[in-house]
Amino acid sequence: METIIQTLSAEHSHCDKLFAQAEVKVANKQWNEANSDFSHFIFEMEQHFAKEEQILFPSVEERTGQTAGPTAVMRMEHQQMRQVFDDMQKSLTQQDDEEYLGLSETLLVLMQQHNAKEQQILYPMSDKVLNRDVPSILKQMQEFRENV
Amino acid sequence: MNTASLSLEQTPPLSVPLRFFLTAPLFGLLASFLLLYEGPDLLINRWHPATLAFTHLLTLGFVTMVMFGAMLQLLPVLVGCSVPRPILVSSILHILLSLGTLSLAGGFVMGNAWLMNVALVLLGMSFIGFIIVINYALIRVKWRNSIMTAMHFALGALAVNVVLGIGLGMLFGGLGIILPLPTVLIHLHFTWGLIGWIGLLVMGIAYQVVPMFQITPQYPPLLTRWLVPLIFIFLLIWTVLDILAHLNKVPFIIAQLFPGLIGLGLSAFALTTLNIQAHRLRKLPDITLNYWRVGMIGLLLSIIIWVAGLLSSDLAMKPFYPVLLGVFFIAGFVLPVIQGMLYKIIPFLIWLHLQNQQLNVLKVISIVKIPNMKQIIPDRLARRQFFVYLFAFGLTIGAILLPTSFTYVLAGVVLACSFLFLGYNIYRALWLYQSVSQEIANCNSL
Repeated sequence: METIIQTLSAEHSHCDKLFAQAEVKVANKQWNEANSDFSHFIFEMEQHFAKEEQILFPSVEERTGQTAGPTAVMRMEHQQMRQVFDDMQKSLTQQDDEEYLGLSETLLVLMQQHNAKEQQILYPMSDKVLNRDVPSILKQMQEFRENV
Repeated sequence: MNTASLSLEQTPPLSVPLRFFLTAPLFGLLASFLLLYEGPDLLINRWHPATLAFTHLLTLGFVTMVMFGAMLQLLPVLVGCSVPRPILVSSILHILLSLGTLSLAGGFVMGNAWLMNVALVLLGMSFIGFIIVINYALIRVKWRNSIMTAMHFALGALAVNVVLGIGLGMLFGGLGIILPLPTVLIHLHFTWGLIGWIGLLVMGIAYQVVPMFQITPQYPPLLTRWLVPLIFIFLLIWTVLDILAHLNKVPFIIAQLFPGLIGLGLSAFALTTLNIQAHRLRKLPDITLNYWRVGMIGLLLSIIIWVAGLLSSDLAMKPFYPVLLGVFFIAGFVLPVIQGMLYKIIPFLIWLHLQNQQLNVLKVISIVKIPNMKQIIPDRLARRQFFVYLFAFGLTIGAILLPTSFTYVLAGVVLACSFLFLGYNIYRALWLYQSVSQEIANCNSL
């Protein structure tokens, strides 16, 4: 049976790959490719965030009756990452590679420690508390993607 | 299911890990000064009291100091369990460890029994306190992963080593204690300390951070599940066999099988790390990557020297041999790995705390620009420090093999420079933090 941890961890790896692609383009000052790779990366990140914020977190919150718990911390970290996305977009527009690379270094650590918490704590917990509803939640996420 | 224990605690206050990270380079500097002060004897004779002081200034004052800070920081973030009263706990542990290490080094250098006994009390309290605090936090977590397993075994090794260390310290401190087989116990003490406590913890941290920072493939699950427990078990069996061999109860060759197995296990770790790093997705130059690669090569070289010593008693009997082995392991493996880690953790924590401070300002009038990680510790400074360190390591090895009054002075001066430079990079980051933090506070009060 497919699980939340498998599905969403695979999305993390996919985004990591896109992140590295965009970063190397900036380092090489290939600005056109950097722009399109960065947009691709942000698109996939926002997709992933939306699936969590709109489908997974509400289901977990409903099941545990806890809205101020782990999901609140995860939402806050999504906001923090979005702020860095904005700054990275600005540096890309200004073709400021030094600023971009400093921000991407920051984002990498922020994103990785966030992913580690999700993969080690939140996803296993979600699989456990959602139990038999996992397939239907995964299906909702799948459809969510198709709707975009 | 109890979700309260999975509350994904927020990161502890910045001062909790930072006090340890800010102190560590000072001990490194002190160790370098000791080298300069004591002269070439320090590097050729492992029994020289200054050599023992030098070793402990590095292993306790630098390595363990950073490990304490890193564990108090990583535990809440990566494992999701909180340390109770973090500021109080970290202050007490930090003071005990700092003063304990200073008195221990002082006790060795001056041959002062009173200082030695003070050191035993302070260090004993700091280690036992640390083990209790970390276990208290770990026990409440209902799940297990490879970093937690490694932390458990590393703490177990630390506990074994505290007992050995206190016993040996009492011997040196002239408390009238007679220990059987003192040289065997010393051998056990540094093996449990270096491989058990430091080595196993580095492995656990590596499993977590190496894939994160360079976007490498994960370590093979077979390795992360079994290697740390296996090495711990080999250490235990070897301990028993080594004692029995010295009592002529079992042949030496059987006892020596286990260091070979431990060496194989550590080599598997080093080679796997180098291999996954070679397959990293993030190909940009990175100082942490450089440091970790040097560290893994340093580990492999120290294993080769260790095995060479097991095979050739001629080599093992050379007075410089144990010092060479120790310096390769500590300065060639542990120090680079730790410095590489600091260059990621410190800028990130400073960025995170400034970011959080800014978010907590409710009435935002003007937003202060928060420096990014590469502005907090610029690459060029980190890179220069890395080269100074490499140079210092090479010169120290040179001074061991060619002990003259010139080589050791050169090694001592450059080693001091490398710690000074590391300290500068860390303190500079702190000053930047303070000025930006003040700016945010000013915006708030407008």
